[in-house]
Amino acid sequence: MLRLELYKIFKRPRTYISFAIVTAIALVIQLAMVADGKNFISFALQAVTEQFDIQGNILNGYLVAYIILQSLLVQIPLLIALVAGDVLAGEAGMGTLRLLLTKPQSRTRIVLVKFVASLCYALMLITWLAVVALGLSVLIFGEGDLINLKSDSFVVLLKHDIPWRYVAAFGFAALAMATVASLALLLSSLADNAIGPIMGTMGVIVVLMIFSTLELPIFATIKQYLFTTHMIGWKGFFDDPVPYTAIARSATVLVVYTILFVGTTIFWFNRKDIKS
Amino acid sequence: MKRVVVMLLLWLVYADVYAQADATQLYTRLRGKIDAIKDYVANVDMKIDVAFIRVPKLKGKLYFKAPDKMKLERNGGISILPKNSINMTVNNLLPGAAATVIDMGTEMLGTRKVRVLKVVPDTESDIILSKIWVDEERLLALKTETTTRDNGTIKMELEFGKYEAQSLPDRVTFYLDVKEFKLPKGVTMDYETQPANTKADKPQKGNKKGKIQIRYIDYVVNKGIADNVFADKKK
Repeated sequence: MLRLELYKIFKRPRTYISFAIVTAIALVIQLAMVADGKNFISFALQAVTEQFDIQGNILNGYLVAYIILQSLLVQIPLLIALVAGDVLAGEAGMGTLRLLLTKPQSRTRIVLVKFVASLCYALMLITWLAVVALGLSVLIFGEGDLINLKSDSFVVLLKHDIPWRYVAAFGFAALAMATVASLALLLSSLADNAIGPIMGTMGVIVVLMIFSTLELPIFATIKQYLFTTHMIGWKGFFDDPVPYTAIARSATVLVVYTILFVGTTIFWFNRKDIKS
Repeated sequence: MKRVVVMLLLWLVYADVYAQADATQLYTRLRGKIDAIKDYVANVDMKIDVAFIRVPKLKGKLYFKAPDKMKLERNGGISILPKNSINMTVNNLLPGAAATVIDMGTEMLGTRKVRVLKVVPDTESDIILSKIWVDEERLLALKTETTTRDNGTIKMELEFGKYEAQSLPDRVTFYLDVKEFKLPKGVTMDYETQPANTKADKPQKGNKKGKIQIRYIDYVVNKGIADNVFADKKK
């Protein structure tokens, strides 16, 4: 059944739009860095170079990959929604949902299989992101120490200490994308065509991300409960020391949201009237 | 009685002039020993202890060429040195030979008795005043405090070992003033590691003290270094 769901996802051309978009964004940023990376670095490090001389291969593959990941913070969840928002609503829209439910499978199992299929797609997209953002950047710009600029500090990570951080960061990103996929799946179970859940997921994520990034006291308390605040937990792996407690808290929040969204989807889908 | 007083005063003036001449001679000898180092390459490890910089201990090769060239090379890695890092060498924290030297007497530095000299350059330079704690026996500057026109007050503590014959330290601790570092959160998109209601108090604004420790593992002295070694090749 999972194989069938994956076949359905990967036979649609729209699935590959996401891979093309990720590749295009990564290539554009890499090209910009080749052409004007030195000026970008000088501008970014202005606050530090007032007081310190920094020399060496600053513009390296690890830094470019980090910039790409930061730039794709909003886009990747939207690309996940493009597919996950379609898995149930698309069936309803095409009229194949009734046919699907005539099979001797429980509705719960169908929802879970659809979720796992969406998750597989998300993992493949993250893996592709790792290839084009990290692999290609290292190939073009080489390896080197990574400078991570934070609002109140300047973190330098030595190059031998970086690869494991990327592995962990991509792992965390996969968890965050599972939450996005589960939200899209929930909205997909509520609709009868794919546009609504896709747009709905995009809207929820964009609005919550604005709340998460705005430095206003009114949002200070609520934003720690928003899953979008915790989706950037991957950045914690590029801090020194790594804030494991905060990352664990973020991972827990994401897991709770994922279970909540999938659970609600199962509950709703089991009661859904498909006859009308 | 009057003759005794006059004699005493004359002796005091003579003693003071003699002490100043002695201090000048001591400073000239110290300066000469330091000036004998024209260049060196040293394997070092550097620990930067500045509030806003989080960097592990950096190992590399430190190149120095008199009078004002310095570079830390880290085999392809990033190197960080304070701006005007040339102030991290003793010979740039001490005025040239043309200077007025004032003997400030002796002090105990740890367990060692040292002579304290105040040196004011006779010619216009960035250095306004240097205070030097000199180990007369070994002819070594163990501590310096230099007031400059443009770079504030720079303090340096030196520990000597294997290379003390050449006045080259095994370990240098360099104290500097650093400004506050702040970038907008909207640009850096920080990951919040603490919930909003448990955040620690923000650090005080303004200048802060920083400390840089350099441990010199070995030196290659006066073998000549080409100027292009100090050129910045990549950024």
